[in-house]
Amino acid sequence: MRSAPLLSLESVTKYYGDLPVLRQVALQLHAGERVALTGPSGSGKSTLLNCILGIEAIEQGSIALEGVALHGLSNKARDRVRRLEMGSIFQKFHLLPTLSAYENVELVGRLVGMAASDCRERAEALLATVGLSHRLKHRPSELSGGEQQRVAIARAVMHRPKLLLADEPTGSLDSENRQAVLDLLEALSDRYEIALIMVTHDGATTRICDRCLKMQDGAVSAD
Amino acid sequence: MTNRMSNSHIAYLLLRTSLRHWRHSWLSYLTLVGIIALGVGAFNGIRQASRAAAANFGLFNEAVSGKSDFILQGIAGQPLSHKQLHSLVPLTHMQDWHLLPVIEGNATYVHPESSDLIPLQIIGLDLIALGNLPLFNELGLSFSSSQSTDSDKWYQWLQADSGIWVTHALYQRLQYQSGQQLPLMAGGTLQSMRIAGQLGDANSDLPDDLIIADIRTVQNFLGREQAFDRIEILLADRSLAADPKAFKVFEQRLRQQLPSGVELQAATDRLANRASMTAAFRLNLSILSLIALLVGAYLILQALDASIVRRREELATLRSLGVGAGTLFAMAMLESGLMGLLGSFLGLGLGQLLASVAVHGLSDTINTLYFATAAQAIELQGSDVWIALSLGLGFSLMAGLLPARDAMLTPPAQILARGDWSPGFTWLRSARFSLSLFGLGLLCLLLPPLQIEGGAKMALGGFLAAGLWISSLALLSGQFLVLLARTMQKLASHPVWRMAMSRLADGSSRHRLALAGLVVAVGMVTGMLQLVGSFRGTIQNWFEVRFEADLYISERGAQGAGSNSGIRPEVLQAIESLPELEFADTLHMARVQAPLGVTQLIGADFFFWQHQKSQIWLQAPGRLVPVAGAQPALVSESFARRFDCLQGGVIALQTASGSQKITAIGIFADYGSEFGSVVIDLPVWKTWTLQDRALNTSLYLKPGLDSRLLRDRLRLQFPALDIRNNHELRAYALSIFEQTFQVTRALNVIGLFVACVGLLLGLIALFEECQMTWRTLAFIGFSRREIIWVGALEGAVLSLVAWLSGTILGLLLGWLLLACINVQSFGWTLIWHLPAWQLLLFGLGLILMGLACGLVAALRVSKRLEV
Repeated sequence: MRSAPLLSLESVTKYYGDLPVLRQVALQLHAGERVALTGPSGSGKSTLLNCILGIEAIEQGSIALEGVALHGLSNKARDRVRRLEMGSIFQKFHLLPTLSAYENVELVGRLVGMAASDCRERAEALLATVGLSHRLKHRPSELSGGEQQRVAIARAVMHRPKLLLADEPTGSLDSENRQAVLDLLEALSDRYEIALIMVTHDGATTRICDRCLKMQDGAVSAD
Repeated sequence: MTNRMSNSHIAYLLLRTSLRHWRHSWLSYLTLVGIIALGVGAFNGIRQASRAAAANFGLFNEAVSGKSDFILQGIAGQPLSHKQLHSLVPLTHMQDWHLLPVIEGNATYVHPESSDLIPLQIIGLDLIALGNLPLFNELGLSFSSSQSTDSDKWYQWLQADSGIWVTHALYQRLQYQSGQQLPLMAGGTLQSMRIAGQLGDANSDLPDDLIIADIRTVQNFLGREQAFDRIEILLADRSLAADPKAFKVFEQRLRQQLPSGVELQAATDRLANRASMTAAFRLNLSILSLIALLVGAYLILQALDASIVRRREELATLRSLGVGAGTLFAMAMLESGLMGLLGSFLGLGLGQLLASVAVHGLSDTINTLYFATAAQAIELQGSDVWIALSLGLGFSLMAGLLPARDAMLTPPAQILARGDWSPGFTWLRSARFSLSLFGLGLLCLLLPPLQIEGGAKMALGGFLAAGLWISSLALLSGQFLVLLARTMQKLASHPVWRMAMSRLADGSSRHRLALAGLVVAVGMVTGMLQLVGSFRGTIQNWFEVRFEADLYISERGAQGAGSNSGIRPEVLQAIESLPELEFADTLHMARVQAPLGVTQLIGADFFFWQHQKSQIWLQAPGRLVPVAGAQPALVSESFARRFDCLQGGVIALQTASGSQKITAIGIFADYGSEFGSVVIDLPVWKTWTLQDRALNTSLYLKPGLDSRLLRDRLRLQFPALDIRNNHELRAYALSIFEQTFQVTRALNVIGLFVACVGLLLGLIALFEECQMTWRTLAFIGFSRREIIWVGALEGAVLSLVAWLSGTILGLLLGWLLLACINVQSFGWTLIWHLPAWQLLLFGLGLILMGLACGLVAALRVSKRLEV
């Protein structure tokens, strides 16, 4: 018998003005499970990810993480859940430009209250895992796109989140880097039993996922 | 792992993000810290300087005798008569206190090479009594001649005639030796005083303009035989002086023995009374220096806002990592606070520097307008530190509030996906809110003026209305911008024009904020231009009417309210008996106490003033009904407004001869003193004030005589008198007027500069925020040059709207300043003058400046476009 789902979405509905962008979306995700979310532009994939991340509101339905309804929480509590339980990766990396690769990763550890020595140890280990031991002190502007995304992945798993949300993580990368990033996501998800929801346009990237869901006009269906 | 963000997290984030930006753009942040430092420095500098400049008023003897505990003097600070002095003899029999009679006055030294006039203070004291005072001995001072070190002959001065002692600093400044004759002017005569010795040495902290001599020597020098200005009382037991109960007992004992017409004051009360005389002056200076801080805060607001816009992606990323909105707000506020703290500390140092530069200028102003004073050393007090920190922190936090709110509201989803977002301040767009502020301003005009210490009034309603109207027009200008841009959008055919107008027609909050800052600056400049123009026009008109005599004569060197020497009677008599003279209008002036403060009582030929003297009359003599039993008087407009006798009535004045009543029979325009003046007939003036010293005289020559010839002859005959014809006097008076408005002009320039920098920063923030728009324009075929022109046009049209709205605001402010604030605060009616050409040129310059700001801001953004 499978354990209780990590993430549970029920009848999630969202509008931009009068325009529905999410319609009655339902989804369940278990720990360590990887799901690909595909669909045409404007179908609501990124919006759904933002709603799960708690940075966009929903009008109806519920999103629960480990049984706790996120949208019933206060802003502060939702920030806390996002900080402690979730990790996020974006197509455009969004690394902090004033921090080095190491500092970008270490920052998350500090935010969740890890001891400085643990932070250092884990950040260095993670950057070694993503193959960037030699780039610790480099700023984002001094890294290639593939390297930046690997730093972003290391940052996203630094605090061992239960859920990783990736919005087109390979969208800005060439094929070689795309493969490397996917391999990394798969390996880290397996190693730390992190559930993954990955928005993608690229059918090939779905190879690391257990399931593939398709979105059309704000509604989700199995592929 | 912790569940909540702690203060250490905020500090950590601040260190890793915000302060890193400081390191990268250190020059920008240093400038911001410098702006706060400048504002705090200006406020504290003026505060310290005016405190130091006004600290020593009238009590020049304190430098050698120490601070007195009590002062005995005539009514309203007038000198003590000989008769009064005799009745105080019983006080000398007590051992509990030291009595120190004082006479003081102004002396002027003419530098032999540069012919510069050096004003000096001469104090006559009982030197034996002074030699017994504790401070005199503590300072190691003595009256032995520097040529004689024989301690047995320390009293040599007793035989000395006209012997004076100068401080070591003055000794060095004038380069005279002991035994030499020092030429000094006073009361219209030039006299030689022998330097008997110097007081103190290089280590003594004595002023460089102080001369000490025996009472009789000074009485003779000033031509005020048997006169005393006051008697200082120092308690012998200094521990009792510090005990409030014992102090009270002494005060009661002294009061019991006072003859009539003599006032006893605790020295601290006198200090407070004099401070109250300059309260309005100091308040004005404080308001002016606060403006510097306010405009600084506006710049910081714009700069911080621009910085938040540039960091928007970073903030959104932090939000996506779970950093709360409150934490971002706290970070931004902490950053502003840090800037404020650094700026305040720098400002303290800068304030000291500014104060040491400004103190002599302020001291001169107080001397001219209020009373004799000598600048004291600049001293940083604990209260200065607290005020600097509170102001610097307060203003920077106030300035940081909107940007911090902006940071807090950063929507991560939108920024991370699209990269741009513009927040809205809905209150900036509400016309109803703006109009309500305007209406509230109108209601404030109904408020009566506030009575402040010293009898001065403050136009509270006027100031409130000005603040509300400035806010109202600044906000309404946004509506005007949208209206104008929509109209121009319809008329324009060129894509660059259409694009620029469409962006302005959108009326974003950031456009409105940049516009509001500019409108306020333009309004203030326009208002001030009217005020200065009207003042100048009115004063020139007043000079034309008032300065109709041929020659004007006063004591040379010691001018202004600080002068108490006047012209000696024998000198005046010699002038009045000149055969060329048809008439001499001689003024005698004394300070008297009116119900709410000190005013000037002038003794003159009343018939001449009433029937022949050319005046601008608000109420010509005869239009006000005199009250029986009171002395008929002509009063200045300031007096009439200050003491509420615009329609006549009786005012009681406390004079040396007791309480006297005057009744106003005419009101004349006078822009010379905000304290007001009362003119009565000279014989009555002498009876009331028990004085006969003239302040100045205006000569009317017989027809056909050349005033220049007589002027030159009199200048040779009386080198210690200041003699000018009416052209020279007008030019001199106008130069003083122009000098008075230097601060206003400097503030106008600062205000405009800040508004321009504010516009530039605002436009940069605006353009940074619209990266996507610029990129889109580039994609659809706009050249880089065209994109830059879109920005330049935005800047130019913003300036045009700012000029139009600011001019309307300025006209309103001008009316407020002339018709309400000036009348209520100073009691002066000014004739309105609109400097139309100046305003037109100003508008043109402003539009060009806006165009340039737009160009610079757009150029900066366009560099990043791959066009």
